Amino acid sequence: MVFLLALGASVIVAAASPKAGPESAKRPGPAAAVICQSCHGANGEGAPAAKIPRLAGQSADYLDKQLRDYASGARSNEVMQNFAKPLSEADRAEVAAYFASLTAPSIAPNPRATDSQLARGRQLAQQGSEAERVQACDNCHGPDGSGVPRSAPYLAGQSADYLAAELQSWREGKRKNDAGKLMSSVVQRLNDADVSAVSAYFSSLGAE
Amino acid sequence: MVQRLKEVDVVIVGVGMVGSIVAKELAAAGYKVVGLERGEARFTVPEFQSPAVHDELRFDIRKALMQDNTREPVTFRNASSETALPVRRWESFLPGTGLGGSMVHWNGQTYRFQANDFELATRTKERYGKNFLDKDVTIQDWGVTYAELEPHYDRFEYLLGTSGKAGNIKGEIQPGGDPHESPRSREYPTPPQKEHFQGALFRKAATSLGYHPFPQPSSNLSQPYTNPEGVKLNACVFCGFCERYACEHYAKSTPQTVILPVLLANSNFELRTGCQVQRINLDSSKKKATGVTYIDTAGREFEQPASLVITASFALNNVRMLLLSGIGKPYNPQSGTGVVGRNYAYQTMSSVAAFFDQDVIINPFMASGASGTLINDFAGDNFDHSGLGFIGGAFIGAVNTNGRPIQYHPVPPGTPAWGQGWKEAVVKHYNHTVMFSLHGSSVSTRQNYLDLDPTYRDAWGQPLLRMTFDFPQNDLKMAAYVTAKGVEIGKAMGAKLVAGAPRKAPYTTTVYQTTHNTGGTVMGNDPRTSVVNRYLQSWDVPNVFVIGASAYPQNASWNPTDTLGALTYWAIDALKNRYLKNPGRLVSA
Repeated sequence: MVFLLALGASVIVAAASPKAGPESAKRPGPAAAVICQSCHGANGEGAPAAKIPRLAGQSADYLDKQLRDYASGARSNEVMQNFAKPLSEADRAEVAAYFASLTAPSIAPNPRATDSQLARGRQLAQQGSEAERVQACDNCHGPDGSGVPRSAPYLAGQSADYLAAELQSWREGKRKNDAGKLMSSVVQRLNDADVSAVSAYFSSLGAE
Repeated sequence: MVQRLKEVDVVIVGVGMVGSIVAKELAAAGYKVVGLERGEARFTVPEFQSPAVHDELRFDIRKALMQDNTREPVTFRNASSETALPVRRWESFLPGTGLGGSMVHWNGQTYRFQANDFELATRTKERYGKNFLDKDVTIQDWGVTYAELEPHYDRFEYLLGTSGKAGNIKGEIQPGGDPHESPRSREYPTPPQKEHFQGALFRKAATSLGYHPFPQPSSNLSQPYTNPEGVKLNACVFCGFCERYACEHYAKSTPQTVILPVLLANSNFELRTGCQVQRINLDSSKKKATGVTYIDTAGREFEQPASLVITASFALNNVRMLLLSGIGKPYNPQSGTGVVGRNYAYQTMSSVAAFFDQDVIINPFMASGASGTLINDFAGDNFDHSGLGFIGGAFIGAVNTNGRPIQYHPVPPGTPAWGQGWKEAVVKHYNHTVMFSLHGSSVSTRQNYLDLDPTYRDAWGQPLLRMTFDFPQNDLKMAAYVTAKGVEIGKAMGAKLVAGAPRKAPYTTTVYQTTHNTGGTVMGNDPRTSVVNRYLQSWDVPNVFVIGASAYPQNASWNPTDTLGALTYWAIDALKNRYLKNPGRLVSA
């Protein structure tokens, strides 16, 4: 009961207080950011249906590392590599800091998620599962997936489709730019249903 | 009303590391095994998850994972002329309780002892003559050699997945490892953890002084690992909450993460928690155990008959169980006769604090319980003790395990103990200090021992264990010597101020030192000076095996867990291949 109330409350908050964009884009971004904005949105809100992640308010260190990894190929994505490669170290840091400073409206919860999916996602996120020997996502990603800069990105309010695609990618070994194989070793022990459930759950939390 | 239960093949007292491994092996061999654990069942999920598991007040200060000393403390005194009093708050050492035992809250430091340690009395006489030691020292050989234990060390380390760099493989010195170590048969299962900045500073300084730094062997793993039992572990995230805490990441090797999933899946094994074993029962000859008697959490008393009884508790509790059961002759310090409780030893922990300028950023919180860098140049018998008047030594290392806000606040000597001055010093030095650990050996002596307290009893009405201990002169001299060496390294690191704190007498139970309590049910080849034979079998009651650090005749310069793991597999070998096929004495008295 407590669980349901808490979940319900967070959904309502997310829906009722969209953090509108205008004031967040008050300072002009770096030139390089314009290219990012064409896909990731003017305020870094992402394009959830297209699996394009939300960047607004994300840890600058995390974003900087991802740009570096795209450029070097450590994180594989042809489209992102083309954008990341030409950026200098200073450009990357500037772009990362810019998106970290933005706020953007929250994405609506994934309409396809069922209550039982959300409950399972919540269990994995907050508590983990001894049967699968998977620890809680929140251990590293912070309370309610709010992120732990510098290392762990926020997950709350992220596109469910993007999260599921990335988890899949970790599991298949396509994505491997994690320290100590932390993500890949955990995701190995999740099945498809758990991947969908935990992605839907974090998406449903709404962004700060 | 004692309820008598159905007889089983094996009953194990305590389901920690030793109990889990023994139970797994014997259950897999087809024996019916019951494990009695006085604490609760607990697992990585849900019990060890954050944020609850990072509660410093609960775990560091209030010792949530430790033996409940409102019900079962030990009593303590420095000398047999004093009256012992119960230790009402664990500080000096921290015996764990609950499924998985003390290993749940260990730091993961996984050293082997050296060949010399197992034949300490013989080797000391050979090298330094028979009158070298103080008269009160009662060190002795273990009755087992390093060469005999090597395969079992190897097996235990591969069970844990220990991360390290070998220094000596089959006699060949390996660059980057510890050149002083006794030969191992192969490399560690996983590479060392990443070196932190303080470790790098230490390594450079130690190298410049001609010493041989190496990465601390860690059972907080550097990479994901699947052990020979098929259990998977993750890599450590350097959160700095190992000792006194459980690990939420499946990254620290504990019974929960390396063996319990296999054990608990075997229907030959039954785990019973909340069972406080009162005694091992003997038949009228007093030469055969018939099982154990325990009381459950509802206060009901049970007798569990068994053909074989294995005590696998924390060292101190193994000793107490034998004393409560009347197995073996209790030690008498006046006459020097008797064996149970004899040769209680500890470890002699000193420290060096190196205080740096504000531009040297240490970030002490980025650590695991075993991610340090250290030297063995002044450990064990790795240096010439001629003319020094003591044996033994310490590893010296930048092995700081955490920067937790309540527990970690290094300040220079002379700083006020509280108030504004203390606060300012903490702020100034927190992130600019390297704390060395000088992890020293401990000789056994005639006057240090364990027995039953004549006055104080536990919550079930049984006499408490009484500890009589102070630091032997041998070890105080050792502490002073190695601390001076540590101070030299601190200075070579470029610290602005280096403060050495050699361990001094009297021993006090009110300051944390180490949980490496050893001895009391010592192993050996002579029943007049040992409680168990070289296979950890009771000389007096051959169907009782006592497996724990209580078997160590004295304590070496390193953390004892790896050696206990090796001894466990060594004893299991003898149990499975010899004892259980033909029960009886494995060594004739």
